[in-house]
Amino acid sequence: MTDEPRDHLNLLAPRSMRPKFDYLHREVEDLAGTRMSRRAALGLGGLALLAAACGGSTNAGGGGNNGAASQPADALKGKPLEDQLVIYNWSQYDDPSTYKKFEQLPDEAKAGLKIHETYYSSNDELLAKLHAGGTGYDIVVPSQNAVGELIEEGGLMKLDFNLIPNIKNVDPKFLKASYDQTGEYHVIKDFGITMFFWQNTVVKPSTEPKTMKDFYDLLNANVSKGRTNVLDGAEEVVPLASMALGFSANTEDQGELDETKKFLLSIRKGVTTISSFGYINDASAGKIILSQGWNGDVRRILKARQKQGDITAVIPTEKSEVWADNWCVPATAPHPVAAHAWINWLLEPTTAVTEMNYHNYPIPIPAALDQMPASFKNDPMFNVPASYTDNYEYILNPNPQLVNARTKIYQEFKAA
Amino acid sequence: MAIAEEPGPAAATVAAKPVKRGRSFAPRYPAWLTLPSLLYYAIFFLGPMAILAVFSVSIQSGFGSVTYTFDTGQFAQVNDSLYITVFERTLLMAAMGSLLTIAVGYPLAYWMARYLTTYKMLALLLIIVPFWTSFLIRTYALKIILDPHGYLAKDFGINILYTKYAVGVGLVYNYLPLFILPVFASLERMDWTLIEAATDLGARPFTAFKDITLRLTLPGVVTGGLLVFIPMCGEYIIPDILGGGKYEFVGNIIGDTFGSAQNWPFGSALAIALMGALSVFVVIYIMFATREEQFGA
Repeated sequence: MTDEPRDHLNLLAPRSMRPKFDYLHREVEDLAGTRMSRRAALGLGGLALLAAACGGSTNAGGGGNNGAASQPADALKGKPLEDQLVIYNWSQYDDPSTYKKFEQLPDEAKAGLKIHETYYSSNDELLAKLHAGGTGYDIVVPSQNAVGELIEEGGLMKLDFNLIPNIKNVDPKFLKASYDQTGEYHVIKDFGITMFFWQNTVVKPSTEPKTMKDFYDLLNANVSKGRTNVLDGAEEVVPLASMALGFSANTEDQGELDETKKFLLSIRKGVTTISSFGYINDASAGKIILSQGWNGDVRRILKARQKQGDITAVIPTEKSEVWADNWCVPATAPHPVAAHAWINWLLEPTTAVTEMNYHNYPIPIPAALDQMPASFKNDPMFNVPASYTDNYEYILNPNPQLVNARTKIYQEFKAA
Repeated sequence: MAIAEEPGPAAATVAAKPVKRGRSFAPRYPAWLTLPSLLYYAIFFLGPMAILAVFSVSIQSGFGSVTYTFDTGQFAQVNDSLYITVFERTLLMAAMGSLLTIAVGYPLAYWMARYLTTYKMLALLLIIVPFWTSFLIRTYALKIILDPHGYLAKDFGINILYTKYAVGVGLVYNYLPLFILPVFASLERMDWTLIEAATDLGARPFTAFKDITLRLTLPGVVTGGLLVFIPMCGEYIIPDILGGGKYEFVGNIIGDTFGSAQNWPFGSALAIALMGALSVFVVIYIMFATREEQFGA
């Protein structure tokens, strides 16, 4: 062992690798034009590989096209359809056949269009990605509060509705919204509401709960009987409580925020968990006795507990939350014509029917809703009557100050 | 101690080797060979730290955007009863968790090192194997055991899911292997004849344990203890899952500040404040780590 030459390779590699390393050694020596020890040569080779890897990834990352930031609304007139479409979306949010059929449409097939899709799991993730300079996306699917934020920052492209003729299919009430008052930057994808439910074998309210305030009032009395739950997130907990007290969801009034905080702390001991993740499974297994929930989720819970029939669900009268996910095109989109074509395709009534059957949330296209099976069409939890939603509000992020104040109240609620 | 006096076997053989190319000393690697590691460290460790430091003295100018300046206002905001409470709670829970981990882990490591021979490696493997499973899955598995409809709650009356006690159980369970391994290593290297000598000289078993075993393995215990204490302080998932989202650690507060509030400067200030609080313990760690070398344990 001690007699071996010093320069011998002591690598954890099989002996058969020796000729390959020797070859690498010679190559590096040739390139360097001078003799060097094997270790130095391999080290240099390693560095070269590293540099090559870095260089490669830089190129890949810099491939995004920095398109014009603000274009006039008809800038796309007469431009040809691109051969790519890059979608950044929530996972499992659209039917696989929707993609396939789009690529097979006559114009798209002629252009050889291919869809690339990546996923995020929260609006925070989407915003963080776009704030960090993420470009290269043609379609993003932000919820209402993120749309408002992105418009304010100039992050979205004004849509050219000449390229989206199917916009005529959309219920006119959903074309403009409080988060995009001119309706130039978004097309609604689907919407939902926040409601509540309880296990009627365990929770026995003395009077019939109707409003979100009634839900909160049940918490303290029932928490000893099992797990109670409220949906999590500062942008959910605080505005929902504000609305239950009759204030606006997006109130910035310090007095109203203080009162909301006081109210939340008063019901805090009635809350077992603060969670939006996994409550469908837990409630379906009968482990939650009283909780808030989004309508699509509550439908699934009701279906899962059909045999036991022990869930009572209520769509609140008075104020509650209505939310919407939206099709938007980032200002930097490299393939804007394809993006418009995609939105137009999704507004086709037949596409909307497929989509609704897949994700279970309503798309406000009357011609499509008419074609839905009765189990959907006549279920108020799917096709929520306007008599309810007329009182509901979108939760928005009007400015960082309000969001910071909400977060602080939320943290105090959780830490109490 | 004996090891420290004689030169390592590797050093001896290297020195005896014939030297090529007229150099008069053992192989000297060119310093630049460390460059890849240094680069990696600089880009992926020091880089983010520097960004954090810069953000913490900036001010929020919009959602997820900052104006670079030098403003210590963020740190003044940290000094708020809410955050102080959460800091105290985090440090206290991590300290309790570490002590419990020591109480559970030390006897186990002792038993393995002293009394197991044939099955020693198997026992070690059984400690490590759960570590191969995802952290998240292990924590969800605990939820099943602690479930109010489970055996523990129904038959033993231990119904602690969604309380701080469940968080404590989760901390101990998830970090136990990190403690057992260093303590097992120092117990393995214990010279048990010292105990025989002590008993021969009339020491009672407990005295022998306290004065010899514990003293010699103390550096290992401290290393293991801090190895679990520090990540416990940064814990985020366990309080969220087992505490039902209403038992906040500093990690959860920082997460909310970065995530839903998109307030990077304040989130950075909170993170740096946590690092400051932890540095005290790291200093203790370094002190004991250097002492460990002296003991050779």
